[in-house]
Amino acid sequence: MSEKIYAWLLRFYPSRFHKAYGQEALQLYRDRSRDERGLLPQLRLWFDLLADMAVSLPREYRRQEPALAAAAPQHIEGIPEFRSLDSGESPRPSALFSGACLSLLGFAAISLLISHGRTYQPLFLRGGHTQPTAGARSSASSHPPDSTSGSGNGKVLDPGGRVRDVSSQEATRQAATTQEAAQQATGPQPASLATKQAVQQGVGVPTQLQQAVSIQPRPQDATAAILQAFNTHDIVMLGEDHGVKQEYEWLNKLVATPAFDDRIDDIVVEFGNSLYQKSIDQYIAGEDVPMAQVEKAWRNMVGSVGPVSPVYGQFYKAVRDANRKRHGEHQIRIVLGDPYGDWDHIKDIEDLGPYLAHRDEWYAQVVKDEVLAKHHRALLIMGAGHFLRRNGPGLVEREIRGAGANPFLVVFGTNAVDGFDNLDNRFNEWPRPAIVPLSGNWVGELSAVSITTGGMAPATPLRLADAADALLYLAPRDALMQVNLTRKELDGTPYEKELNRRMMIQTGHALSSVPEQAETPMFQRPLPQRVAAGPHAPMAMPKSARDPLPLRPPSQ
Amino acid sequence: MPKRKLDPLPAAAFQILLSLADEDLHGYGIMRRVAEQTGNRLRLGPGTLYSSIQSLLEEKLIEEVGPPENENVESGANPDSQQGSKPASKAADERRRYYRLTGAGRKLARTEAERLADLLRVARAKSILRGDYV
Repeated sequence: MSEKIYAWLLRFYPSRFHKAYGQEALQLYRDRSRDERGLLPQLRLWFDLLADMAVSLPREYRRQEPALAAAAPQHIEGIPEFRSLDSGESPRPSALFSGACLSLLGFAAISLLISHGRTYQPLFLRGGHTQPTAGARSSASSHPPDSTSGSGNGKVLDPGGRVRDVSSQEATRQAATTQEAAQQATGPQPASLATKQAVQQGVGVPTQLQQAVSIQPRPQDATAAILQAFNTHDIVMLGEDHGVKQEYEWLNKLVATPAFDDRIDDIVVEFGNSLYQKSIDQYIAGEDVPMAQVEKAWRNMVGSVGPVSPVYGQFYKAVRDANRKRHGEHQIRIVLGDPYGDWDHIKDIEDLGPYLAHRDEWYAQVVKDEVLAKHHRALLIMGAGHFLRRNGPGLVEREIRGAGANPFLVVFGTNAVDGFDNLDNRFNEWPRPAIVPLSGNWVGELSAVSITTGGMAPATPLRLADAADALLYLAPRDALMQVNLTRKELDGTPYEKELNRRMMIQTGHALSSVPEQAETPMFQRPLPQRVAAGPHAPMAMPKSARDPLPLRPPSQ
Repeated sequence: MPKRKLDPLPAAAFQILLSLADEDLHGYGIMRRVAEQTGNRLRLGPGTLYSSIQSLLEEKLIEEVGPPENENVESGANPDSQQGSKPASKAADERRRYYRLTGAGRKLARTEAERLADLLRVARAKSILRGDYV
C-alpha cells in the first residue's frame, strides 16, 4: 500500500525525470523499506521521502524550465500540478486555500509525531546516559551485585568481570554473598519479568514502556558502530568481560581498521600497570623492547591476581602491528590505566591497599591527563562492572564528564536474560559481533546484571537501558570462550612462583586451579555444592585502603 | 565561459563522487555508502540522489555501467539483510543501474578535496580547530 502511495507521489516529478529514474527511485524505496522495519524506522523513512520531495521537486522543475516553456501545457484531470506564475500574476484564492489546508495538515501530522515519538532517539546521537527509572533508582540504593561465583573450579568474577583464580572456599563465599545481595536488591521478582507479565496483562505499565518492549533493536556491525559513535562522541567506553576470545578477536580487527586508526588517538586500558608506560610507548611505537620488560605491563597489574590471559599481550601486539603498517601516518597510543603499584616492593596486603582502593580514581585521572587535556579521542577499555551505570554514572564516567568529555558507553553482554538457565533466542538473529543501541527497544528493558554476567548473577531491576548506551554482543552465552595461560605454560616458571606469592598476599592461599586447556567455555554451570556450602566472612579490607595513592615513581 | 551546472560542486554530488571512488554502485548502494561515510548525517532521498546522478551523468563525471560480474547480489546494499540472498533480490539487482566514476569525476573529486584541505589548514592556523586528530 505504502509503495503505491510513493509510486503515486513520484508522478509529481517532471515526466522526463519520472521516466528516467522513477523505477530506480521506487526500487530505492523498496530497499529502504525492507531494511528499515518497525514503526519508527518507517516513519523516519517517510519523513525523509517527503522532505526530499520538498527540496528536489522545485529543483527538478527549475531544471526543466526551458523544456516546460517550450512544451504545450498539459493538464490531467484529478492530478495536482506545478505551474510557474508570470511576473505580476497572483495565485488564485482557491489555490491559496488549498495550500493553507495542506500546511495545517502537515503541522498537525508533525505535532502528532513529536508528541507520540518520544521513545525514539536517533542512533548514536544521544549526548549522555538515560536517567534511571524510579524502580532502578530504588534498587540501586542497595547496589546490585556484579560479582558472582566463577564457573570453573577455583575461579571467581571480580567486580570488573575479571575471572580470578581463588580457592574453592573463596569462590563459594562470593557466590553465596552475590546471591544474597541480589535477593536483597531484587525482592521477589526481577523487573524484567514483572514488566513482561504486566505488559501481557496490559495493566500498570506506561504506554511508552509497552511500546519499548515490542520495538525491535537495530544491531549494527560492531566495528561500524564504534566508528559511528566517534562521529558524535570523543570517548567510547567499552565495558568488557576479561579474557573473552571473541571479544579480543574483534578488538584486534578493530585496531587494524584504518578508519579507526585515523580517528582514535589513544586506547586507555585497565590491563596495563601505569608504572610501565615508557616501555609500552616504545613498544607500541614499533621500537625493539625486550618482551620480558613489555609484558610486565599486563602481568604486573595490581588489579589482577591469577595468571593473565594471553589475549592482552596479543592486543598490545595488534596495536603495535597496526602502527608499524601505518608508519609515517597517525599513530595510536596505548595508555595504561592500572595504578602504578610495583610488585617488587609490595610485601603484604597493606602495601597493596592504596592501589586496590583507588583503581577507578587512577584510571579516570589517566584519562583526564593523557586524553582529555590533549583534546584527544579515545577508546576506554575496562571491566564492565567498573563502567555500568547503577545509581547514575560510575566514578570514571562522572570524572571524565566533569572534565568535559562526552562519552558513549558500550558494555559486553550475552543472551542470558534472566539467570543462568534462561537464554533468549532472539539474540541469535543478530550479526556477530554486533553493537545494539539500548534506548526504546526490548533489549534495553532486560536486566543489566543478568546480561552482563552471562546469567551468573540473578536478574535485578536495573535495566540495560539505564546501565549503558549500547550492548556489545559477541555470541550466545554457551559459545563464548575464554583464552587461558595453561598449566603446562606456567608450571615451574618464575611467573608461577611470583603469582603464588601475590595470591598469598591477597587471599592467604596459593594459586589453586590453572586450566589445562588454552581455551575453555567462558561460562560453566556452577557446582551446586559450592553454592550450598553457605556464606563465609568476607575478606577484611586492608587498613591502608583509606590511604591516598603514594607518589608516582618514574615510569619504567 | 558558461557557468557549469556543478560549479560550485554541491555537497550531495561530492559525496556521490566519493562513494564511487572504490567501486561501482547502484543507487541504493550509493545512498548507503554516503550515509556511512558521513556518519548518517546525510541520507540522500531518491529525488536528491537521482537528480544529482543526472547532473553528474550530464557532466560526464560518472557513467552508467552494467552490474559487476560475480558480484554479491546485494552489493552496496545492507550486508546483514536476510533477504539479500534470495533469488528475487538477484533479479531485482540485475535490473538496477550501476554507476562508475570517470577520470574527470575523480579529478574533480580530488580538486574539491584539496580545496577543503586548504580550508582546514586555514582553520588550523587560526586555532579554530583544537587537537591534532582532524
